[in-house]
Amino acid sequence: MSRPTWVAPASFAIAIAGTAVATYLTIAHFTSPKVLACVSTGVVNCERVTTSAQSEVFGVPVALIGLAWFLAMSGLCSPWAWRSAASWIRTARLAAVWTSMAFVLWLVYAELFVIRAICLWCTVVHVLAFALFVIVVLYGSEAAEDER
Amino acid sequence: MTNRTAQRRRQQAKGRSSKGRSSKGNRRNQRHRSRFPLFAIGAVVAIVVAMVGLSVYNHVRTPSTPGNSDTAKVIDAVTTVPAAALDSVGAGEGINPPMAIAAGTPALTSEGRPEVLYIGAEYCPFCAAERWPMVIALSRFGTFSGLGLTTSSATDVFPSTPTITFHGSTYASDVISFTAVETETNQLAASGLGYEPLETLTAEQQQLMQTFNVPPYTSQAGSIPFTLIGNRFVISGSSYPPDVLQGKTWQQIASALSDPSSPIAKQVLAAANMLTAAICELTGGQPTNVCSAPGVSSAAASLPSA
Repeated sequence: MSRPTWVAPASFAIAIAGTAVATYLTIAHFTSPKVLACVSTGVVNCERVTTSAQSEVFGVPVALIGLAWFLAMSGLCSPWAWRSAASWIRTARLAAVWTSMAFVLWLVYAELFVIRAICLWCTVVHVLAFALFVIVVLYGSEAAEDER
Repeated sequence: MTNRTAQRRRQQAKGRSSKGRSSKGNRRNQRHRSRFPLFAIGAVVAIVVAMVGLSVYNHVRTPSTPGNSDTAKVIDAVTTVPAAALDSVGAGEGINPPMAIAAGTPALTSEGRPEVLYIGAEYCPFCAAERWPMVIALSRFGTFSGLGLTTSSATDVFPSTPTITFHGSTYASDVISFTAVETETNQLAASGLGYEPLETLTAEQQQLMQTFNVPPYTSQAGSIPFTLIGNRFVISGSSYPPDVLQGKTWQQIASALSDPSSPIAKQVLAAANMLTAAICELTGGQPTNVCSAPGVSSAAASLPSA
């Protein structure tokens, strides 16, 4: 399958957007969840999610893990990386999106069944991660010379 | 045509056939490769849709806890079930009677009074069912305060069964003592396995569990709810199936208790009479108006002897 020209700029833009939102969530984690522009009552409750036991994995804030992942994806999805013929870049990109989807599914499970609240900003991050997953699994396994 | 020419042609024909098979295989592999990403994306979407669907389903099925005044009305209705309704139902049908503990076992007492010990958990649907008759029966011997409403787990069998919780409640009686331990909440633990812990068993309660929450008193060691009635009787599991409470609100259950013809009353009140009869064995028939009530006398006939 040849790779459309929009893949590189689109995935790079999504990774940058994800980095921005993850930065916002990381700042909220280390300062106060109240800085999040999000309701904190009912099912949609960012504060409840970002202060839950599931907001950290082995002591590492999930928001920080998300920020690190989007920063890495920004590099792996940069136009330079898409043009590169290095196979390790394709492998790393694919491994990153598969790992992220497993993590996102666990986080969605935690929100729906353990915390019983939804964080809108976290959902934005999940959607961006899913968009990267779609692009990378569809077009990320082809070599750079396939680009048209 | 010479033999050599014929052999060359056969070899060429074989080569063409082999190439054809190989290119067919490549095309099949390519088709598989090109479909795999779509399957992967579809699988992720399907998992998310299934989780959201299950969550919405659970949310719809879980009744919202009533406000303070409605909670008080439900508790009031359960703690003051009309004696006529209890007598009308009597021993009922299909109620699991308590198991008798061997004669000579030292009595379980607290503060000089026979003790009823309940061990359960808020997530447990069978505990949810058992608390209704327990509150009714115990309210005939004393007074509760601080009872609250909750549901069993939304993800277990008989999901979101409406019930009363003993957590945070106190009980006062002149004739018996009552101790309740709710070991876990109905909220899944952070790990996703098990439920958040709530109350802890004392060493003595753990010892009682190890002694009486085992066969032959129970079919499965350590199961809940576990009700120990003064070391004279054991109730393991619920006295009736929780399905009769499925899809009902607390208000509907509380209201049904005053109607002896309702399916809920037939189960819950019969179980309450059975419990009452067992407790009357501890109190020596006190209070008389309770222990000599027709419904209790009828249930007492079904009690096993040690």
